[in-house]
Amino acid sequence: MLRTLGRYFNLFFITLFILVGLSFVLAFFFPGDPIFNLTGRPLEQLPETPYTQALADERWLVAFWFYIQSLLDGSWGISTISGLDLFDEVSTLLPATIELSAYATIIALFVGIPLGFWCGLKHHRKTDYTFMSISMLMSSFPIFWLSLLLILIVSLQLGWLPMSGRLSLLYDIPHYSGFILLDIYMSDHPYRQEAFVDALRHMILPTLSVAFLATAVFLRTTRRAVVDVLEKDYIAAAQTRGIPFWKIFLRHIMRNALLAVLPLLAVQVSTLVTNVMIVETITEWPGLGDWLIQAIYERDYTAIRIGMLVVSIVVVLVTLLIECLSKVFDPTQEQFS
Amino acid sequence: MILLDIRNLTLEIESNGVLVKALDKVSLSICEKEIRALVGESGSGKSLIVLAISGALPPQWIITADRLTWRGQNLLKMNTSERQKIMRRDIAVIFQDPKAALDPSVKLGEQFRESIPDELINVRWWWQRRSEKNQIALAQLTRVGIKDVKKCLNSYVHELPDDVCQKFMIAMALVSQPTLLIADDPTRGMETSTKRQILSLCKSLNHNSDLSILFVSHDLLAISSIAHSITVLYSGQTVEDGPLESVRRKPFHPYSKALMDSAPSFRPELHPKSPLTALKGTIPTLQHLPIGCRLGPRCPRAQKACVNTPVPRTIHKRQYRCHFPLHIEAEENTVDNNEGENL
Repeated sequence: MLRTLGRYFNLFFITLFILVGLSFVLAFFFPGDPIFNLTGRPLEQLPETPYTQALADERWLVAFWFYIQSLLDGSWGISTISGLDLFDEVSTLLPATIELSAYATIIALFVGIPLGFWCGLKHHRKTDYTFMSISMLMSSFPIFWLSLLLILIVSLQLGWLPMSGRLSLLYDIPHYSGFILLDIYMSDHPYRQEAFVDALRHMILPTLSVAFLATAVFLRTTRRAVVDVLEKDYIAAAQTRGIPFWKIFLRHIMRNALLAVLPLLAVQVSTLVTNVMIVETITEWPGLGDWLIQAIYERDYTAIRIGMLVVSIVVVLVTLLIECLSKVFDPTQEQFS
Repeated sequence: MILLDIRNLTLEIESNGVLVKALDKVSLSICEKEIRALVGESGSGKSLIVLAISGALPPQWIITADRLTWRGQNLLKMNTSERQKIMRRDIAVIFQDPKAALDPSVKLGEQFRESIPDELINVRWWWQRRSEKNQIALAQLTRVGIKDVKKCLNSYVHELPDDVCQKFMIAMALVSQPTLLIADDPTRGMETSTKRQILSLCKSLNHNSDLSILFVSHDLLAISSIAHSITVLYSGQTVEDGPLESVRRKPFHPYSKALMDSAPSFRPELHPKSPLTALKGTIPTLQHLPIGCRLGPRCPRAQKACVNTPVPRTIHKRQYRCHFPLHIEAEENTVDNNEGENL
């Protein structure tokens, strides 16, 4: 167990190191001056520090060492377009993205996995075929189109929900944690209740578009896992022991199927992040994805570098975390560690 | 008294849209205190028979039988809970691969406690049940000869060797004090000393507790050491059935003869380095089953009539299904034929 954790810790740090190195090298691949790409300022305007000294002398390995230090202490440089500090930018934007993906994932988990179990137990029957066809349709929807379609129908034609943004401009909620629902709850705004409802109304469309695809994927994965478990010898063996089916389901089928689903979910993390970024752009959700795509449009190289680094670190962290969890929970996995 | 009586059990499986008879009119019966061996190659449908008896077949497979009864009660007409009750108390099954037949994610102790019938526990309060169940588990596991019982109960399947898992399966099967034990190839892939232990365990259970055993295997040596009677299965058809000794001495069906000849230990007259006899070819796959007698294409005695499925014929407590049997005169065969049809 400790060894498993240690191994994952190692893996995380090595990956992190490679990513940081990559982001450093990226500054040389982008057009323009590498120093400008790294810091957002030309060399003459930089304060006199060992870091800038190393950059000026083109001692790149030393500069890389100082680059790692600067990343750790939060001086990530400034945006070449807006001139804003990148660390502040990212720390206000990242919670919005995490919020959106977390809610979408929770919805997808609570809808997709129970439905997957149901389909798995009824496999090769009408309910199964119906849900499989629906999920096939769902997973083959292009997400940008789905998001546009929802805005078109629900916001523009029916006028039920706001079409973009995170909160109406009427409510001025002070920035506290970055998670909007939590911020509203913590604030002492006179229209707190209304602001909360408004935030929820803004959240529905983007969350549903992301959850739509994730639900389909979770449903299919869970169904496959349940069907696989049902074909195992130990289920037949439990049946021959005369144990009622609901007990077999609770004790053997559910546990083994979920253990099989967990590592497969890790693979889905990067897809989820991509989808969140696309939906953020379309619904103008003020998150990291929207910001990063804007930076790409504007050739804001410092922002692209930091955005790529942050997004990839989040993906790696979550993926490794899920894999690690599945190793810890699954007693049969321990033997390989 | 006949415990389990199977007559003309047919199992149809859909394969690529076509119904295939995986089992074709299998007949089998087990009497009280009898050890019956069910012999056949891999792929002949032995395990399917076990699953059909225990009711663990996938629901989309079609089972039909003239008779499938347990002490006279029709198992096919029964509802699920009645069937579960019989499986829980009267019939116990051990599987050929103990590691696959135990849940990998649940500790063995919990699996054992789960298989103890409620009737066996007579304590007043629910918090006493767990320790009571543990007591039963300890006693049972010691009885089958597991050495480190505590460790076994606290382990997962993958942490234990195969033979311990198999003994654990046997202990789990016996805890409900069954009348019939169905052992599906319990000695597969085991070394000789473990095999002997398990066989002698079965034998002593049969001797001391009057347990009937359906011993499914292709290990003729193991069978000859414990079984009273034998049923030979080929490609989903029962080809011969009778007391072990007489089948061994005079097999009627060419397949039984080939089977007996394939075991060198059954033939003391065999000279060193003499070639082993075997039928040409392999057992047909489900997709390419021959019509009539399924041994037809491989049978050395096959003739034109073999494209029709032979009816079972009975002679001296023995049953066989063959048009041209060994050791029986042709006239005798036809006489029996009429008798078979009258049955």
